[in-house]
Amino acid sequence: MNRRNVWLVFKKDWLEIKRNPQVLLPIVIVPIIFAVVLPAIVVLISSTPAAAGSSQNSVEGFLPLIANLPQDIQAMLAQMEPNQVMVYIMAVYFFAPFFLIIPIMASSVMGSDSFAGEKERKTIEALLATPLTDGELLLGKSLVSFIPAMAVTFVSFFVYGAIIDVATYSMFNGMLLIPNAVWLILIFGVTPALALCSIGLTVIISARVKGFKEAQQISVVLLLPILGLLFAQVSGLLILGPVVLAALIGLLVLVDIAIFYLGMKVFQREEILSRQS
Amino acid sequence: MYSVVTEGLTKKFNSFTAVNHLSLEIGEGEVFGLLGPNGAGKTTTLRMLACLIAPTEGSAAVAGYDIQSDPLKVRQSVGILTENPSLYERLTALENMDFFAQAYGLLDPQERSRRIRALLEFFNLWDRRNDKVATFSKGMKQKLAIVRATVHKPPILFLDEPTAGLDPESAKEIRDLMAALSQQEKSTILLCTHHLEDAEKLCRRVMIMNRGTCIIVGSPDELREKISGQPVIQIGLKQVNAKVLAAVKANPQAKEVTVNPQEVALMVTVDDARSATPELVEEVVQAKGQVLSVNVLRPSLEEAYLKLIKEENKQ
Repeated sequence: MNRRNVWLVFKKDWLEIKRNPQVLLPIVIVPIIFAVVLPAIVVLISSTPAAAGSSQNSVEGFLPLIANLPQDIQAMLAQMEPNQVMVYIMAVYFFAPFFLIIPIMASSVMGSDSFAGEKERKTIEALLATPLTDGELLLGKSLVSFIPAMAVTFVSFFVYGAIIDVATYSMFNGMLLIPNAVWLILIFGVTPALALCSIGLTVIISARVKGFKEAQQISVVLLLPILGLLFAQVSGLLILGPVVLAALIGLLVLVDIAIFYLGMKVFQREEILSRQS
Repeated sequence: MYSVVTEGLTKKFNSFTAVNHLSLEIGEGEVFGLLGPNGAGKTTTLRMLACLIAPTEGSAAVAGYDIQSDPLKVRQSVGILTENPSLYERLTALENMDFFAQAYGLLDPQERSRRIRALLEFFNLWDRRNDKVATFSKGMKQKLAIVRATVHKPPILFLDEPTAGLDPESAKEIRDLMAALSQQEKSTILLCTHHLEDAEKLCRRVMIMNRGTCIIVGSPDELREKISGQPVIQIGLKQVNAKVLAAVKANPQAKEVTVNPQEVALMVTVDDARSATPELVEEVVQAKGQVLSVNVLRPSLEEAYLKLIKEENKQ
């Protein structure tokens, strides 16, 4: 495999994506919501007396979650005011699974455009006629989904962390809520593995469908397990602690390997051309 | 030496046979036309030769490389114009060409930009080089797609309907380029076309395909003669009289003689127009006939093609 050719495919696809608002808008808007709107809710809770007054009731809603947290965290929360507990739970635990949606959404939108979009725009035949190998095309196109998806995820995390820490600094007497071990493992361990999984599935789906929207709609199915994680955490069934996240990374790596093996198999020129719209 | 050789090349899509045991040989520097109605198997043949799809049976070698065991070498040796221009509409003309030139291994930046510039200037597209392809007309996109196919100076070109949708001036530019590539750069060109004018003007040999099989192959002249029979000499006269008619009929080269009353002309079927024409004109003059015009009538390739396809479809 020639790295120069991989880079060539990446550059070409990135130029196209940059000029496509249909692709750019969702990968900019969704992270803005998660990185700015979610912490704004926390800021509102921490700064509004009326909201603070209702915190006791809201904390009760998180009791199943709190009951399954590690003992040291539970002890720390027991020393806090209801308002502080509410902010801590939301900022550190409740919002964490939302950040798994960003790499899935970004990589599936860009992946669908890069693979199925070429079929839809009828540009794929000339590309497949070049001497670029299947591996170079697959890797170049996967990177154009992976690198921006990770960049968007990391930037969202830094913005989210900065807003949360600035807003809660005085409330927690100088203690910084973000980053902690959970968030670091989540952002730098789980999200790359999840993005690769999403890209692999998008490649497989794109090889089978005729257009960008069709591929994107099917890729949305990937969000279901994330919503499952969110509800499992709120209900206290599963807490995204370091051990659970490490196990999740291990599982995703295995799934990534299986999906990429399958992706290489379905990434065949004839198969792709025969399903061209 | 042959640039393209196929032997029993076959492609089936489930139970449908798109190309059926096709065997052909195309010499180096030859412009070879592949003619046939829609669904004849022309594009499928081209896709197999460009290693985009694999044959179900048979074999083929392009530029000396087997299409199944050496597809990368084949792709390096070939430039292809597909049915669609296949250009990235959000990229500029220059960005498109730069990408494809590099993908085909044109790595030296100076050489690459010289080549791209020369081709864009040839097609009057240099002034639009920084415009997105989405703003181009259909004809401009088609020309740009030809620039892409030729940017890496491939020894073999596969062109699928290169003049489709172009105005006469643009079509001529493309025909001129093909002629120049064949004559000056010794490029071998496999041309799939419905435009029989292109085939007639450019191709040394043509193959007519129908329903995936080869019906006939030969030079345009040979095809016309094979399909439409012997040439006819039309001798226009001021007046046709019995003496002139008898004189012409008496000539051993005249196989059949009829009178065309509308044109006031004798229609003489012969085996060889070149040797028969002077003799027949001399006979007419000696019989005191006043000759106004002499034309050798041959069916156009289009007439020959239509006749052949009609006969094929009746079977």
